[in-house]
Amino acid sequence: MRNRGRTAFIVTYLAPATLLYGVFVIWPVLQAFGFSFYKWSGMSANKTFVGFDNFKQLFHDSVFWQALEHNALIFLIGGGAILVIGVGIAHAMQGEGRLTKVLRSVYLFPNIMSLVVVAILWEFVYDPNIGLVSSLMRLFDGPVRAGAPPVDHSILGSATKALPAVIVTFVWFAVGFYIMLFSTGIRQIPSEVVEASKLDGAEGFHQFRKITLPLLWSVGRIAVIYLVINTLNVFALVFLMTQGGPDRKTEVMLTYLYEQAFVNSDYGAATALAIANFVIVMAVSGIVLRLTRKDPAGASR
Amino acid sequence: MISLLKRAGTNAVLFAFALVVIVPLLWMVFSSFKSGPEIFASPWGLPSKLHFENFAHAWQTAGIAHFFLNSLIVTVATLVVLIPIGAMAAYVFARYPFLGSKVLFGTFLGGMMFPQFLTIVPLFFLMNSLKLGSYSLYDTKLGLTIVYIAYSLPFTVFVLAGFFQTLPKDLDEAAMIDGASHSGVFWKVMLPLAKPGLIVVGIFNGIGLWNEYSLALVLMPSEANRTLPLGIANLVMVEHYQSDWGALFAGLVIVMIPVLIVYWIFREKIHETMLAGALKG
Repeated sequence: MRNRGRTAFIVTYLAPATLLYGVFVIWPVLQAFGFSFYKWSGMSANKTFVGFDNFKQLFHDSVFWQALEHNALIFLIGGGAILVIGVGIAHAMQGEGRLTKVLRSVYLFPNIMSLVVVAILWEFVYDPNIGLVSSLMRLFDGPVRAGAPPVDHSILGSATKALPAVIVTFVWFAVGFYIMLFSTGIRQIPSEVVEASKLDGAEGFHQFRKITLPLLWSVGRIAVIYLVINTLNVFALVFLMTQGGPDRKTEVMLTYLYEQAFVNSDYGAATALAIANFVIVMAVSGIVLRLTRKDPAGASR
Repeated sequence: MISLLKRAGTNAVLFAFALVVIVPLLWMVFSSFKSGPEIFASPWGLPSKLHFENFAHAWQTAGIAHFFLNSLIVTVATLVVLIPIGAMAAYVFARYPFLGSKVLFGTFLGGMMFPQFLTIVPLFFLMNSLKLGSYSLYDTKLGLTIVYIAYSLPFTVFVLAGFFQTLPKDLDEAAMIDGASHSGVFWKVMLPLAKPGLIVVGIFNGIGLWNEYSLALVLMPSEANRTLPLGIANLVMVEHYQSDWGALFAGLVIVMIPVLIVYWIFREKIHETMLAGALKG
């Protein structure tokens, strides 16, 4: 009775999703590994097998290393700022009042917006003519001397300021998600633990350091993994704000990949870069998980 | 007294940070109502008069209306197919274990892990090679819709499978004894019960698809097919529409408004789901 048509049911109900997923996701993933061993400019006649040449070339490509360095800076500086702000705000936001809920929703909103809107909005914020930031900078210009060149207020066009500006935008966009993650982590801390620590005289920063921080360990690990993935895969923000410029000073792995594929038509090199990016994300995530395996809360007891 | 001061101090920090989030957004909204000269002259001021014509310019002259329609078509078409086929697969994974079902489910979930750019070059060629006569999947709304369905499946199957697992086991057994078929139980009993899950999945995918940029950028080059994010990005980057700042700000507001409305209505649900996804995934 129960098994009547079971197999037919399973097959027909799985088929549409599995077919689409297989053809448009899994098949391209497998193909990517193949593509990376070819030199290929798009015309099928010009496809030549080159073994690991694309990877060797990538290894000697200074632009790739520059891009990787910028990804690393976004992770270290932007990610670091996000962790500090995220834990700090989440700690300050304890309690489940109406106000807390509204604030949490406000903090999270940039994360729900289109990255396109975020990138363009911040491009405008940094604009030397109409931007909020340059209008503040102008306050510090001092008196204009006759004949002196006008003060340069460009930010995204500046070799030194562009990357920090992109990082600020990234933090603004992403931090709400991490605040939410950490406030949930804090709420999961049993209130008896907090009460007991108060009886022991732990308060304020002391309580935060001895109780809250160690108990946030497992949520913190998840947060760092998300940061690794999101910072090594930054694309739209950089592509729209600076196109990797000026002079590649904000180039990241994926903007370079886009250029190699869809500007230079060097599809083999682009796919090799995609695989390198994937391997780097997996490797860094693995290292982070391994380094943070020891839970200090468990160790100190 | 001291704790009261401390509370006030913390609240001040929380409000200050909320301002950091809100000020750029308010600036965008205010600027969308300002005249061009006003945008230059008083970046921090309120609009002296509401220049609604900025929105008319963005909507008609800059072509946002057309991009809006494209985005609406692609988003709705994706959801209409994605949700039923995602729910069907999720239901089988949750309730009908078979040899290899764990592996296949794992393969679906794996899609949430690897970056989209891993597949972007092969996908670009795949879409170019799939043709019906002269009709190619590349650079068509149908093609983008199919890709969107495929790339939204992992999250959809993950959330809905979780939902179907929580529904009581004896429900389908009772219905089967009454003579209902496997698919009858699914459509008449299970799917209605899973409605909250379907709504969550619809909201999440809807927002994500409305905002999507990278895939559309690579797969939709022609202007006629541009979705809203592509269209507004193109106005700023390629056409340098900056001679009409007001219209550009209005365009950004138009892209944001539907998301803001949906977000504010469903914000608690969105929180829950993001957390569940983040902590279990």
